[in-house]
Amino acid sequence: MDHRNSEEAELVKRVQARDEMAFREIVERYQSKVFSIIYGILRNRNDAEDIAQQVFAKIYFSIKNFDFRSSLLTWIYKITVNECYDYLRKKRVRKLVYESDFSEEDAQRMEASEPATDPHLPIDTRLAQRDLILKLLSKLSEEDRSLMLLKEVEGHSVEELAQMTGLNENTIKVKLFRTRQKLLKAASRLTHVRPLAR
Amino acid sequence: MHREIYERLEDVLSGTPPDIAVKHLKQCQECRDEVISMRAQAALVRQLKPPVEVEPRAGFYARVLERIEAEGPVSIWNLFAESAFGKRIAVASLALALLLGVYLVSIERSAEPMVAGPSMQTCLAPACDAAGAPVASTLSAAISGEDAPGVVLSRLDQEPPNDQPNHEPNDDMLVNLVTYREQ
Repeated sequence: MDHRNSEEAELVKRVQARDEMAFREIVERYQSKVFSIIYGILRNRNDAEDIAQQVFAKIYFSIKNFDFRSSLLTWIYKITVNECYDYLRKKRVRKLVYESDFSEEDAQRMEASEPATDPHLPIDTRLAQRDLILKLLSKLSEEDRSLMLLKEVEGHSVEELAQMTGLNENTIKVKLFRTRQKLLKAASRLTHVRPLAR
Repeated sequence: MHREIYERLEDVLSGTPPDIAVKHLKQCQECRDEVISMRAQAALVRQLKPPVEVEPRAGFYARVLERIEAEGPVSIWNLFAESAFGKRIAVASLALALLLGVYLVSIERSAEPMVAGPSMQTCLAPACDAAGAPVASTLSAAISGEDAPGVVLSRLDQEPPNDQPNHEPNDDMLVNLVTYREQ
């Protein structure tokens, strides 16, 4: 799929020419998406706000390098996930979200509507699981991590991923398979190391 | 993992396995275990889905602009970094500076033996030909056509005056020819 001749591409070209109204349109179009991705990973509103600002600043400064090989959303998604991981690295967060990091509102919301996890599990267990998966995803390359999140979190099909990334479907399948295997290996290494560390 | 599953893994994981995959999974414990692990792992990854759609607070765009201003102050260097024309100017300037540098270094190297040589005194002394006229002016006169070349050469062949006892005429002439070329 050619991403160069879409309405979105025209918008990108205007931003590349430093049209501030076009940039505003991009921010307004994607701010909810970016904010949700960050919130999904960090579960903290203040951090999400800070990182979302950082993501759009990065988009502003690096959009001249956007080469239309992927869709704009895919590119923004990758930047957003990378910024989250940069943030986690910088803060050296080992245990991702302690209850002290939670606002009351966040905790209630998470308790009330956690779609992918077993609601009968105590919140500590769910947080430990989230911590584990974030650690496992940190072992992947930026590209593999984004692809995995686009598949599992955003729910895109292989065909959609091929269109979004500009890769063919077989390449997407192979990449996903290898990524899943890497995650399994990383998980088995972590579970073997943990008892020794104690 | 066997080919029957490997080629259809995404369908298997998404819960719509084709018959051939179902049949293989029934027979193959190894593939079954791996698929179960991958399903569990996919469920873990899905925990990163936000529970509800969240929006930033009002005024988000203004705060993004503030961040951009804070992170990227407008400077003259941005003109070079951001526009294609600016980049060309920067590259051309760098190339010119490099050429000038190479030229200056090569000039200094060719001048080094003259400065460091034993006849430094004679270099500093006024250079004159046998008739007392400066060699440089004699040569320039020859070049400009005031004197015929034969006249100039015969003047240069004459002995220097005796009032400069330590003067080596050939050295002087060589030194002054080099100096003249550089001028």
